[in-house]
Amino acid sequence: MAKTAKINVTEGNLLASLQGFFKAVLRVEDISAILVPQHLPMKNMVMPALVTDPKQLEGADPLAPAFPMNAAKIASRLTRKPAGGKVAAVLRPCEIRAFIELVKLKQGRMENVLLVGIDCLGAYQNKDYFKFVGDNVTESTTRFYQNVLSGKGAAMKEVDLSPTCKACEHCIPGAADLGIGLFGVDTANQLLVQTQTPQGEELLTRLNLPGSQEPAGRQKAVNAIIAEKTTYRDNMYQEIAAATNSLEKLTTYLANCVNCYNCRVACPVCYCKECVFVTDVFNHEPIQYLRWANKKGVIKMPTDTVFYHLTRMAHMSTACIGCGQCSNACPNDIQVMELFRAVSSRTQEAFEYQPGRSIEEEPPLSVFREDELADIVGIGHA
Amino acid sequence: MKKKVGKAMVVGAGISGIRAALDLAEFGYGVTLIDRAPKLGGILSQLDYQFPTDRCGMCKMLPLVDRDTSSQYCLRKGLFHENIDIRLSTELASVEGEPGNFQVSLRQKPSFVDSALCNGCGECVKVCPVEVPDEFNVGFSKRKAIYLPVPHNIPNTYVIDMTACTRCGECESVCPTQAIKVSKRVAKDFRIMVVDDELIVRDSIRDWLEDEGFAVDTAESGPDALELLSKQPYHLMLTDIKMPGMDGVEVLQKAKQNYPDLCVVMMTAYATVETAVEAMKIGALDYLLKPFEIDPLVSKVLQIYHDLEADQQPPMEVGALVLCGGTDYFDPASGPNTYGYGFFPNVVTSLGFERILSGTGPNQGRLVRPHDGKPIKKVAWLQCVGSRNIQLEADFCSSICCMHAIKEALVGKEKSGGELDATIFYMDMRTFGKSFQRYRDQAESKHGIRFKRGIIHSLLQDESSGDLIASHVDITGTKKEEIFDLVVLSVGQRPATGATAMLENLEIPCNSWGFGETQPFSSTVTGKEGILLGGSFSGLKDINESVIQASAAALSASRVIHKSGGGLVPEVSAEPPPAEAQGESPRVMVAVCTCGDEISKFFDQDQLVQSLEADPAVDQVLFLEQTCTAIGWENLVELAEKQRPNRMLIGACLPYVYARKIRELGQRLGLDPALIDVVDIKPIAYNSKIGSEIPSEEERTAANNELFAVFKMGLAKVKWADPAPVTKVKIKQEALVVGGGIAGMTSALAIADHGFKVNLVEQEEILGGNLNWLKRTLEGNATNTLLEESLQKVEKHPLIQTHVKSRVLSSFGYVGHFNTTVEGKEEGVFTLDHGVTILATGGTEAATTSYSFGASEAVITQKDLNKKIDDDTLEPGRLKTVVMIQCVDSREEPRNYCSRICCVAALKNALYLKEQNADIAVYILYRDMMAYGFAETYYTQARQTGVVFVQYDPTEKPDVSTADGSVQVTFFEPIMGKKIEIDADLVVLATGVVPNLPVDLATAFGATLDQDGFFAEAESKWRPVDSLKEGVFACGLAHSPRNVTESIATAEAASQRALRIIAHEQMPTGKVVADVRYSLCSLCERCINTCPYGARFFDLDQERVMVNSAMCQGCGSCATTCPNSASILAGFSDQQMFDVIDSALEGTG
Repeated sequence: MAKTAKINVTEGNLLASLQGFFKAVLRVEDISAILVPQHLPMKNMVMPALVTDPKQLEGADPLAPAFPMNAAKIASRLTRKPAGGKVAAVLRPCEIRAFIELVKLKQGRMENVLLVGIDCLGAYQNKDYFKFVGDNVTESTTRFYQNVLSGKGAAMKEVDLSPTCKACEHCIPGAADLGIGLFGVDTANQLLVQTQTPQGEELLTRLNLPGSQEPAGRQKAVNAIIAEKTTYRDNMYQEIAAATNSLEKLTTYLANCVNCYNCRVACPVCYCKECVFVTDVFNHEPIQYLRWANKKGVIKMPTDTVFYHLTRMAHMSTACIGCGQCSNACPNDIQVMELFRAVSSRTQEAFEYQPGRSIEEEPPLSVFREDELADIVGIGHA
Repeated sequence: MKKKVGKAMVVGAGISGIRAALDLAEFGYGVTLIDRAPKLGGILSQLDYQFPTDRCGMCKMLPLVDRDTSSQYCLRKGLFHENIDIRLSTELASVEGEPGNFQVSLRQKPSFVDSALCNGCGECVKVCPVEVPDEFNVGFSKRKAIYLPVPHNIPNTYVIDMTACTRCGECESVCPTQAIKVSKRVAKDFRIMVVDDELIVRDSIRDWLEDEGFAVDTAESGPDALELLSKQPYHLMLTDIKMPGMDGVEVLQKAKQNYPDLCVVMMTAYATVETAVEAMKIGALDYLLKPFEIDPLVSKVLQIYHDLEADQQPPMEVGALVLCGGTDYFDPASGPNTYGYGFFPNVVTSLGFERILSGTGPNQGRLVRPHDGKPIKKVAWLQCVGSRNIQLEADFCSSICCMHAIKEALVGKEKSGGELDATIFYMDMRTFGKSFQRYRDQAESKHGIRFKRGIIHSLLQDESSGDLIASHVDITGTKKEEIFDLVVLSVGQRPATGATAMLENLEIPCNSWGFGETQPFSSTVTGKEGILLGGSFSGLKDINESVIQASAAALSASRVIHKSGGGLVPEVSAEPPPAEAQGESPRVMVAVCTCGDEISKFFDQDQLVQSLEADPAVDQVLFLEQTCTAIGWENLVELAEKQRPNRMLIGACLPYVYARKIRELGQRLGLDPALIDVVDIKPIAYNSKIGSEIPSEEERTAANNELFAVFKMGLAKVKWADPAPVTKVKIKQEALVVGGGIAGMTSALAIADHGFKVNLVEQEEILGGNLNWLKRTLEGNATNTLLEESLQKVEKHPLIQTHVKSRVLSSFGYVGHFNTTVEGKEEGVFTLDHGVTILATGGTEAATTSYSFGASEAVITQKDLNKKIDDDTLEPGRLKTVVMIQCVDSREEPRNYCSRICCVAALKNALYLKEQNADIAVYILYRDMMAYGFAETYYTQARQTGVVFVQYDPTEKPDVSTADGSVQVTFFEPIMGKKIEIDADLVVLATGVVPNLPVDLATAFGATLDQDGFFAEAESKWRPVDSLKEGVFACGLAHSPRNVTESIATAEAASQRALRIIAHEQMPTGKVVADVRYSLCSLCERCINTCPYGARFFDLDQERVMVNSAMCQGCGSCATTCPNSASILAGFSDQQMFDVIDSALEGTG
């Protein structure tokens, strides 16, 4: 059964307490390194960093509202093959979900990693974070988490949480080995630590943290947050459906796309070594462009824009964990996340699949089942 | 490479015939497959759905290795195989010679439509004035005299029903390809003389025959006839017997003296039949009975004409014959017909209901009564119509009807969205096959099919509605009446028409019901060596058993051919054409067949040329007349040779028939055939709108656009075609057989007899398995003789190496090359290399603790009883009461299957006890007596000798108690409706069969087990002894419960399937196989999970996903799963497919 413990917080300084906790983790015998968001000395950005020296953890800042990339890809790089040591990875819930999907796709392995998740307070879009952060990163992060945890909300002057985070109903780390709870917890004094796997339990035993119990009000607080986000999400789905429910509308929606494929590069579950859209498959014969133009009188160049997004939906929508990095990466402000989440919600529903929920669940289409989706594909008894 | 020489003939092209032919052809023999029907597929061409999937799946029988030798599309539509020569409308005329060297004459029914010319356009049907009931739809719909025997065949050649045809000649004049020759098709040089003293007879016969195109002379007396004969030669003389002066017999004698080759047919009134028969003894061919009717007379003459024509062809040499003549259905109108079949329109046969369900049926598969269109809501199936009926001399079970009825009920349910009210009235639900019991249970519990035990004696019809009133008395004696929209008679099987005569001709004995009889323990070998029986010809079988049987028959045939020197010769493989086109930019020649002006009438040739030549890849577009004819084709080839294109696209009809021609063309042009393609333009050309009237401008444009699109799609395909050389996989020509029971020994012998080495691994000290305790069968055949003979043969065989007290530790590899490690108690650990694996690990009687087993020595199992009988420890004279309980722990979860042999064993032992001591009271407590097939007659015998059969329900099982040293059995007697207690001397439990196939052993070879631990077949019906992983086969009890003869049949089938692989030194893979582009591969391994054939694996050393091209079947699942085309399918590149799709969309306007 799951075990519960706590991390004591002194003077309401969550960052310091978490840093202390990470140091303790790093001191555990078979943990060789810790992957944790860290602000980099040269600029005020927060980036995933692989730390082996406990002293270097002073910069660890997992609560900053900065989400420059989905670190699942980093975790996948670290675990694809035996690394000669175990890494504790401190990840946002969406990063954990993406990592689980990547493991299912054999792009990473659970054997070398210990997943530590923290209740996600959300993040700003990259551009907004730069506006917000100012010179003192620690101070800005502290201001952010205090506002959020005290109920004042994440909206500040000029900036607000990204739509992704506003619509994210999975802000509690589900499949982590160890989860650190903030919502509904008296964070002025303590953080909640809960194990969710035997591996997590083993680590907790070694860390020797004081035992605790889940606060009575936590579930209610969590439910309230999820309810709010779900409402936001469902409205978003409706708006997107209205905006894209015909090929014309979809084409308009994606009109700004310049085929830069940044969204694909940013996508944590787009795992192909080389995307089919940069192979010769889409390097059409010159005669082909003329044929198309002849047929329609006019074609937009470059071609294959809508096709590209549709293909990505076909390939990845069942694995889309909704981290929103696609939107973050778009140079032309296309609301990619909104579209992908809206479509994914339907495909995932069709397969009764929730990506990143559990390593045990087989991804859709990996096993052929003759009797599934009869109502959609029309197969079955004629 | 070596190839088998040797030829076989398969008679009957139903499912068994196809299986046998394919097996022999894949082995390398040349096969002639004949069927007297003008179609392939036998009864299955009329059945669309088969249990347990309730779909078809026949195509799964097509070759999986070296598969490009065969067509690879719907087998219900047609079959092309390089080694199979299919002859339809053809019968066996005579068989002479020795096993291994038979001379076979065939008789082909005259064809009035030239299949080489008929393109299936259907113009003839539009003008044919004759309408008759269509037998394909059991008469529910009508067809013309010229018709398609099966609506979905490819190529679909029309045939003419000459008995219905009026020879009006309308079809002949509209046929655009001049394929029909109906009016004057008989050569004038076939001269017939008609001798009769009556002018009216002479003249009318002459007129009839002249209408058929014969040259006819008449003579009014014997002397006149003889004079005519001296003037010019005649082929046939029809002579009356009773004539003044010289009578017919004398004419015959004199004529035969001078002209021994003359055929003479006697014409006789009933009174002189005996004379006619005498005449036949002195040389008359046949006789005709007066008064004459035109049809029989003409068809007799036609038959003689064709026999004489056929005789002119040299007989064929074949090494062996497999007779797969199938069965017919019982005709319920024959016999007492208490169900009013043929009178009540809503009483149909099971085949009739099958047609109602079919999309090609009378109402396109809608559930309405063919007779009046009323929706079918409530249906009753009546079982055992024409089976299990002593009055009808059918004391046998037809074996298939129970499952057939359940399937029909389920498909009906499905089609009606679950609304259909379906009831099956039955005596015993004989669900004795693998998975049948669960299928039945689900039908009842999940789908609500009602199963009612009881026989409906007769039916009444409600005159106004046509509904049927069925009254019956149930087991409690209560009379019940129910009204149904439709009643389906589950008709039993009968020997096929003509089967008995054919068997008689071949001197093969029949059993009492007219089915071919086979040797003990063989279901295929007849008394006549070299002539085998396949499928249901020797008795009643479902598809699964028929297919097993057919493979077994192929094996026996192959053995005969092999033994008589059908040895190995170097294979002359066609030189691979030079890869000239490789690397060159495409220069495509497009050839368009104008189909005798049909195409050019409507299509805009200039625009087509313009549109195609816009593509720089197109070299030239040209138009040709009738490429389907020899001249047309030669024209095309010559033009191509002149032009030397490096790719070709041909627009014609029936692309399937071009496969062979394309290969030849490729050779002549030095092109890989993959660079030549044929697109089908017929459907557009013969679009009904265009064909029938003057098309509007819009219709013309639409048709033209469609035509351009078809050409452009074809162009896209050949333009991007990039043929890779076909790889070959080396085969280790040895076999491993695991398990040395009768199945294993049979397999080992079958393979070794073909000259290949076999390692036989047995875990026990001795070979023989269950035959070490089983002594005789129900039919009284001694199994110990079989065992001794098999043991001797195995021991003496130089190519069989037996390893007793040994077990398989591990195995890896794939078809053609397995490497297996075996541990022997005496031999130690050793490894074996082999190309195929046969699992024959057997099975045993299940252990039980039910019914107080173990508490008393008087409670034993059927096996115990067998042993006691055989070692004489049982004293039947001292027994008073014996109770046998069937289905112990069987046919209910978790062992929810019928073990198939226990009812038969109970009958055998009960009959023995009664024979030894008629006073013993023998009770058999059963759920359903599974006395399937000819075992039924022993069930009848047992009842006649006084064995008491009491049916029990699994919810109210018998109870056995063993207090005070005696045994009491309590059970509910349903007829008396109360519980009965009996003191028994002996209680015999039928505990059924459990397989002895350990999971790790199966897994080691890549085979899987079903939920009961038996071998899981690749497909229960179509690939019944194969594992999904190619090269691994199973037989005997490890495969499924079955008796000795049936086990041997599976062993023979498995051996045949194995031999077809190891007969070759190397095996070409398919042209269409998957590959991996490593530079793109992310190693996600989804393709590995997706591959249904286990052809992909991850190579740890190379860190690459590999494809075994022999196992790959080119299905493309891997390419579909792979997001970035790192997995590809040869011949289906992304660019090509996109181009094809684009071209297709262009036609949509």
